[in-house]
Amino acid sequence: MLLRIENLRAGINGKEIIREVNLEIGEKELHIIMGPNGSGKSTLLAAIMGLPRVKIYGGRIFFNGIDITDKPSHERAKLGIALAHQNPPEIKGVKFKDIAISILKKHGCSDCVPLAKILDVDQLLDRDLFVGFSGGEKKRAELYLVFLQAPKLAMLDEPDSGVDVESIENIARAIEFMRRRGTSIILVTHTGMIANKLSNIDRVHILINGKVTYSGYPDEVLPIIMKLGYRKGLEVLKKR
Amino acid sequence: MSIKREVVEKALSKPAVYGPDIDISKYKVEEPAIGELSEDKLDEPVAKAVERVSFSSKSLGYLQVNETALYKVLEKQLSRFGARIMPLKIALEKYDIAHKFSWKIIRPDTDKYTAAAYLYGGEIGYFIYIPPKTKVPIPIYSCLAITGNKKIQFAHNIVYVDEGSEAHVVTGCAVPHGVSEGLHIGISEFYIARNAKLTFTMIHAWAEGLHVRPRTSVIVEEGGEYVSYYVIYSPIASIQTFPIAYLSRRGKAYLATITAASGKGIYDLGSKTILENRNSSSEIISRVVARDKAKVYSRADIEAHEGDTRGHIECLGLLLSNEAMVSSIPVITSKKPGALLSHEAAIGMIAEKELEYLMSKGFTEDEARSVLIRGFMNVDAPGIPLAVRREIDRILDLVTKYAVG
Repeated sequence: MLLRIENLRAGINGKEIIREVNLEIGEKELHIIMGPNGSGKSTLLAAIMGLPRVKIYGGRIFFNGIDITDKPSHERAKLGIALAHQNPPEIKGVKFKDIAISILKKHGCSDCVPLAKILDVDQLLDRDLFVGFSGGEKKRAELYLVFLQAPKLAMLDEPDSGVDVESIENIARAIEFMRRRGTSIILVTHTGMIANKLSNIDRVHILINGKVTYSGYPDEVLPIIMKLGYRKGLEVLKKR
Repeated sequence: MSIKREVVEKALSKPAVYGPDIDISKYKVEEPAIGELSEDKLDEPVAKAVERVSFSSKSLGYLQVNETALYKVLEKQLSRFGARIMPLKIALEKYDIAHKFSWKIIRPDTDKYTAAAYLYGGEIGYFIYIPPKTKVPIPIYSCLAITGNKKIQFAHNIVYVDEGSEAHVVTGCAVPHGVSEGLHIGISEFYIARNAKLTFTMIHAWAEGLHVRPRTSVIVEEGGEYVSYYVIYSPIASIQTFPIAYLSRRGKAYLATITAASGKGIYDLGSKTILENRNSSSEIISRVVARDKAKVYSRADIEAHEGDTRGHIECLGLLLSNEAMVSSIPVITSKKPGALLSHEAAIGMIAEKELEYLMSKGFTEDEARSVLIRGFMNVDAPGIPLAVRREIDRILDLVTKYAVG
């Protein structure tokens, strides 16, 4: 198992947001985590990445058999975990290109050229990181940096929110490209829009109030949730 | 402006408006001398000082060690363009033009430092002249170094860029490691004629016991342009400077100051521009990173004397320790309607969100801090040639190292 989460409890500023989450992701798998706003999806990814603002209150996280619960985020990145942030910060004076080069030096991704084409980021490379980027540009640029890390596990936090249809197509193609490369993916989505464009999704998890309330196969879960929403959809799913 | 010696002598006791007052009598004044600069024969301490501002001795046009001016290496190369570089003392003997501009925009009785330079400096410093319609493609490097303790170094520099010409002057001021006390007084008078352009890059690399008092004034005539890129990255006892640029019609000025303050130093730095005629414009940018117990006063002042003028100030500071201090003092003054002046100033810490973001990309905390500080100081000065830009980039890498500690 690539990632194993056991009874994870985590939160921000003393408030528990993730409550007893258990999750397993195998190699080359694609899992989707869905849930309403404020259900803890981003916090869960941040906890797996080890971002300092998220505190772990209980449980363990194992990656490739190593307990990473107490490891700082840069060490987790080194082990092969990457996070595409939902809202990456604008960093003035730091060129996108320079960060890309630094990441390349650290991780040595070999197929960055086709990725740059798929994600259409060439024209952004000389600009300050995320400064004045449109919604779609931000998502594509952030995804590009994640891919340059050549991760074993890529966690993508709402890559489809606030972007146009064309960008969603590009992002979906890039995700498929990554999967062919053997990367496991956890994709968080609020609307599920991007799920329709991806093939071979292994599992869909519904997160509500910091708990995984339902896990199932995409054909079973997605049509119902997309049609009925989370509350009613879950009622239907659980009755089955 | 006629100069009366007794008036200047009186000014020897006149403190500067800003910065701690220095007792000049504590420092030794050497007899000014002039010699030939040989790139292969730099004494070790001098070579070390030159290295600290990351210059190559082969490209130096002028080197001043304490009160001895050395030149000649670049003279041949510059003469191909009809341009001249030499110690001011020689220029004053040879050229009327040097006389025409010496002590014309900086009054010798401004304060005790200008007075001392006028009375005891011996007019050592560089004189650079660029004839009309000449673009000098090579950066003109000069270096001023103090190599012994308790010494005072005077430099009086004049740069004249004639009509339609362009020059890039890069000056480094430094001491080799081991020099712990000293005083540097630099007087710089720059003249930019009609439609001419001067880019001036200054790099300071001093030491904890050094006091530094540069005095700079710039005249920018119609359609002229002045770009200044001022970097200080070393510890220092104190530095106080407040260059003033006077801009004529369609004159433009861009002044960027990058300060990485450390130790217990007092850094009082800033710039002033005076928009004297219509369609003149200026931008003053400063970036300050302060650590240890350093105190930084970051001044910026734009004065519009005419309408249809524009000016903008941007002062940003980053505090890296609990005991450092940054004070940002932007001033904008308009004396005529139709001038558009603005300023923004902000002082903060490194944003946790940015740090966290970079760490999630595999950067250690120290690496992430370096990236952010380097980015913070990255100011895009317009019109700086690539060779100088590379120089600045190298210096900023050094500055980042100092700033992070």
